[in-house]
Amino acid sequence: MLTTDAAQGQKRENSLEGDADHVEGAAHPLHVLMFGWEYPPRGEGGLGVACAGLVKGLRSHGVKVTLVLPGERNDGDDTIRVKSALHPYDDVMHGIHGRHSMADDKHLHDLYGGDLGKTVSVFTDTAVRRTRHLKPDIIHSHDWMTFGAGVMASRITGRPFIAHVHSTEMDRTNGKPHEWIFGHEQWGLNQASHIIAVSRYTKNVLTSSYGIPPKKITVIHNGAPIPPARHLSRKDAKLRHPLVLFLGRLTVQKGPHEFLSAAKRVLEQRPDVQFIVAGDGYMLPELIERSCALGIQDAVFFTGKVDAAEARALYAEADCFVMPSTSEPFGLVALEAIAHGTPVILSKQSGASEVVAHAMTVDYWDSDKMADCILTILREKPLSEQLSSEAQHVLHTLTWERQAQNVITLYKDVIHSFAPIPTPA
Amino acid sequence: MTPIITCYFQVHQPYRLRDLRVHDIGREHLEYFDAQKNRAIFRKVAGKCYLPTNALMLDLLTTYPSFRIAYSLSGVFLDQCEEYGTDVLESFQALARTGSVEFLGETYYHSLSCLKSPEEFVVQVQLHVRRVQSLFGQTPTVFRNTELIYSNGIAQIARLMGFRGILAEGADHILRSRSPNHLFVPPTFTLPKDISSIIRKHRPLSVPSKNIHVLLKNYRLSDDIAFRFSDRSWVGFPLHADTFTDWLLQSGGYCVNLFMDYETFGEHQWRDTGIFEFLGALPALWHKRRIRTMTPSQVIDAWKKERHTEEIFDAHAFISWADMERDLSAWQGNLIQKAALDSLYALEVDVKRSRNPELLEHWRTLQTSDHFYYMSTKYWNDGDVHKYFSPYDSPYEAYRRFSHALCDIRSRIEQRSPPLKQRARV
Repeated sequence: MLTTDAAQGQKRENSLEGDADHVEGAAHPLHVLMFGWEYPPRGEGGLGVACAGLVKGLRSHGVKVTLVLPGERNDGDDTIRVKSALHPYDDVMHGIHGRHSMADDKHLHDLYGGDLGKTVSVFTDTAVRRTRHLKPDIIHSHDWMTFGAGVMASRITGRPFIAHVHSTEMDRTNGKPHEWIFGHEQWGLNQASHIIAVSRYTKNVLTSSYGIPPKKITVIHNGAPIPPARHLSRKDAKLRHPLVLFLGRLTVQKGPHEFLSAAKRVLEQRPDVQFIVAGDGYMLPELIERSCALGIQDAVFFTGKVDAAEARALYAEADCFVMPSTSEPFGLVALEAIAHGTPVILSKQSGASEVVAHAMTVDYWDSDKMADCILTILREKPLSEQLSSEAQHVLHTLTWERQAQNVITLYKDVIHSFAPIPTPA
Repeated sequence: MTPIITCYFQVHQPYRLRDLRVHDIGREHLEYFDAQKNRAIFRKVAGKCYLPTNALMLDLLTTYPSFRIAYSLSGVFLDQCEEYGTDVLESFQALARTGSVEFLGETYYHSLSCLKSPEEFVVQVQLHVRRVQSLFGQTPTVFRNTELIYSNGIAQIARLMGFRGILAEGADHILRSRSPNHLFVPPTFTLPKDISSIIRKHRPLSVPSKNIHVLLKNYRLSDDIAFRFSDRSWVGFPLHADTFTDWLLQSGGYCVNLFMDYETFGEHQWRDTGIFEFLGALPALWHKRRIRTMTPSQVIDAWKKERHTEEIFDAHAFISWADMERDLSAWQGNLIQKAALDSLYALEVDVKRSRNPELLEHWRTLQTSDHFYYMSTKYWNDGDVHKYFSPYDSPYEAYRRFSHALCDIRSRIEQRSPPLKQRARV
């Protein structure tokens, strides 16, 4: 059976050869079996957005994508739902080992209704069982929780497996990984035929912390969000206080502490500036405490969780957006801020700083310089205007359509050089 | 006829800015410039380029007494020589003593003052001429503006300042299929009265020149050395001195002007590319093949003596030797560059009124064109961010530092002369 499948795959691939750039109209469209995540409210942050963008981009090039998502809804032919309690990067979970509590496993058990390993393995088994009738050309998984499904599907179908890395355990835990998750990530990466990293920054993490050979990793940045048709207008600057925005999960990784430290320094120079910390997360109570301890509680506002419309309004109203992440594989929020014409300051420890040319960049730990960049943007109108208008170029050049084309090129290379490892019957 | 070869080398180093912070602004005797970095870069370039190239040049000028070259050393470079390298200065003085080297005039601070303030422009040229006189015992009679920025107006100002020659880029769109290998003249016109009176007041040289000749850079042949010499994908690679000499002769005309940054030797083109061997072989070869070299003012004398017909080089808009565009876009291509330059010159009156030499010196050092060059975002939109060459992380970092320095100058002006309202109250 396996040999036949492999031979069929080979045949499909041959049929594509004369049509290197366009899959459209090919006799057998490229077929991808993808284990992914969906957009919020169920998903968390950038992973679901990236996954949805990529699938849309691939389909626009005529690629057949069978998408497997955790959940119960029925979305039609090409999407298979697998009932599961899996959530990508739930902040509650990371709050726990962000604090590096020894109670990790107990909390994880509670969260996932038992054993995390078991939940993942149930998802893996169900996902693989539901898709074993398919004959894809290639398997594609997004982050560690779906690596197991990818590896198994690859073994069953005899097709290559691509592991797409949007975030690593090292990023999420400030370099103090949960061992089991780290191990599972590393296992998946080792099993993969090839790896897509969302930035050079992430590629570097994968080579230095996970020991993956660089040649096994291709960097394909995420596509940018589509800019809103119309910018919301800012209130007259003279009538209000200058506004500096943080938006993201309140976890160590996103650097809210660094944001408060910078706020403190800004306020020493300009007491009229106001700061908004938008988002929810396990760190909320300690951040509120910290702002009081710094004596800046009157200038810092915590919004809690914001929905898409509220986020839009905040981006539009802010004079400056700061992404102070300690380790950010990509950083979609930065591009969302840019889409609203807001000048951004990016942590150098981020993938976004690789693609956004028109931004100020700082090391996340340098809150004095972060404050200085904020003050400069607030003081220098030409700078703020140029950052606001020029940064938007990236939204037009870094499209999901283009990035999906890069993924297709990679698929073809990987399929071409793939030699299935015979598995015992 | 065999063309004459005119070699001119630009020698310049900017003072790069420190990582200034908002809380530094207004601090007493705030240091704007990164002395450590500036010294390190100066010593690095001295070791790789200035000292070995000057030694080679001295040797060549001694061995071939008819060999001639010209330099333009910016005032801020000469200042750095005093701070970081008297050995470098002495080696240039040794070259001056051969009598075979001409020193050109430029703006002391390697500035863009020609775009913003005629007075500042003329004063800076005057400062430069005096410095060259005192260090090298020569009075420049040929002018080269910052980055070969040139226009008909600048040529007229240079003439009225007393220069009889000026250098410019042999820009194709102005030459319109004419060869750059001839001397040209700018169209004649009268400058506005206020500008001519400014020039009269600060004239660097004793009398205005009756006419001025334009020497155009032959950018193809100059860039063969400066940019392509070590480019392995270039069809001319590897370039040998005799091949290059063949090209010079084929280029024809009256004179071939080879204008380039001095750092070409040893810094842009490293020693292991063979650039020194190439340079060292040229004078012997030219001597053997009876090719004359002249300095810019010698070429002008020879040309005038032979009474050639004068062609007009008509540059209504500014040209320069920078980038493919050969215009001002390297320094004035985006909003922050324009804002930075405008804000800087907006302080001119107040800075000069303060009669504070330290303030004036700081304000002038901020005029160096490199500060604006570092803010360029020209090739940034699609490209790899990391390709950019600058001492700073990004154009925005360049602007941040520069704008802090400007704020400091502003605060020092305010400290010295409180606004009128306050003064009235006192």
